[in-house]
Amino acid sequence: MMRAESQHHTEEDLLMYLLGEETLRPAGEIEGHVAECGECAGVLSEYRELLSALREWELPELPEADWSAQKARLLAFFRLERDREPHRAFWYPLLQALDHGWNYALENPLPTMAFVAAATAFALERTISVFALDRLLPVTGELIEILRQVL
Amino acid sequence: MATSTSDEDLVRSTLDGDEEAFSRLFDRYRVPVYSTSYRILQNPEAARDATQEIFVKLYRSLRTFDPRKSKFSTWLYRLAANHAIDSWRSRRARGETRLPDEPAQAERLLRESIMAEAIQSPYEQVESREKVDEIRRCIEALPELQKKVFVLRYFQELKLDEIAEMEDCSLGTVKTSLFRATQTIRRRLRRFGGIQ
Repeated sequence: MMRAESQHHTEEDLLMYLLGEETLRPAGEIEGHVAECGECAGVLSEYRELLSALREWELPELPEADWSAQKARLLAFFRLERDREPHRAFWYPLLQALDHGWNYALENPLPTMAFVAAATAFALERTISVFALDRLLPVTGELIEILRQVL
Repeated sequence: MATSTSDEDLVRSTLDGDEEAFSRLFDRYRVPVYSTSYRILQNPEAARDATQEIFVKLYRSLRTFDPRKSKFSTWLYRLAANHAIDSWRSRRARGETRLPDEPAQAERLLRESIMAEAIQSPYEQVESREKVDEIRRCIEALPELQKKVFVLRYFQELKLDEIAEMEDCSLGTVKTSLFRATQTIRRRLRRFGGIQ
């Protein structure tokens, strides 16, 4: 008994145990202690009783007509707001696509970096070839060879 | 088939202007939102009005919802709880709430209805009604964060880490708030005789 008393659990831990939340001490230890300690068992039982009383607090039902009227008002509001919004404009899908692309890039950084590197290499190679930069600047000749191998 | 559409898909369609999607979001969440409002406001008419305002707010702030950060339901319950707390504050300022120990008329009416019911009901039922009534008064008197955590944990069954995330505070703060709220009510019920 003395041993059980010396290991009393805090009320907070007992409540968290009851709620299935993370506790300071393992659940098995709490169960073992509560089985021996009348004081902690009493506290636990009071919390259990309180939680059961909470379930008796019923939600007053709203008549279906109230819900229907509320839904009709909300949908009228929805139509009004929707028609006011700029998302009907031609540039909205473009903005959305950019937003989706940006989100994809944040979620998948490695494929995005690989794509950006390949696109940059391709653009460089095209620029050097089209403007014949390898003839004007000899160093770009070596660069274009490397880029062509990479691509 | 239609019911299996995810919340995130409905949100996306709503943002694209799909009225049916918004209507389905309302059907799916009207009761939990009403429940959250009612537990905080404790008045069916006020909770009904708050529910409508919450859905208006939901539509206006839908673009700020980020599915990578939280579930839609968690995000919506936070919106609902915050709005209900604001409404409760306004009602209190107007003297429309039923604060504990105040001999308000609503209180007397409720007691009278309990007494009337007692004539026909078994004793246990009256005891249970009185216990629930005591709990309601205690909840109304709780500090705002405790009240919010209490309602979201016990009536919407959100996990404490979800509440901590949506309230942008530590898990410890949420645990302590919930514990203090529950302990206050337990002690009050014991004094009242609702707990043996």
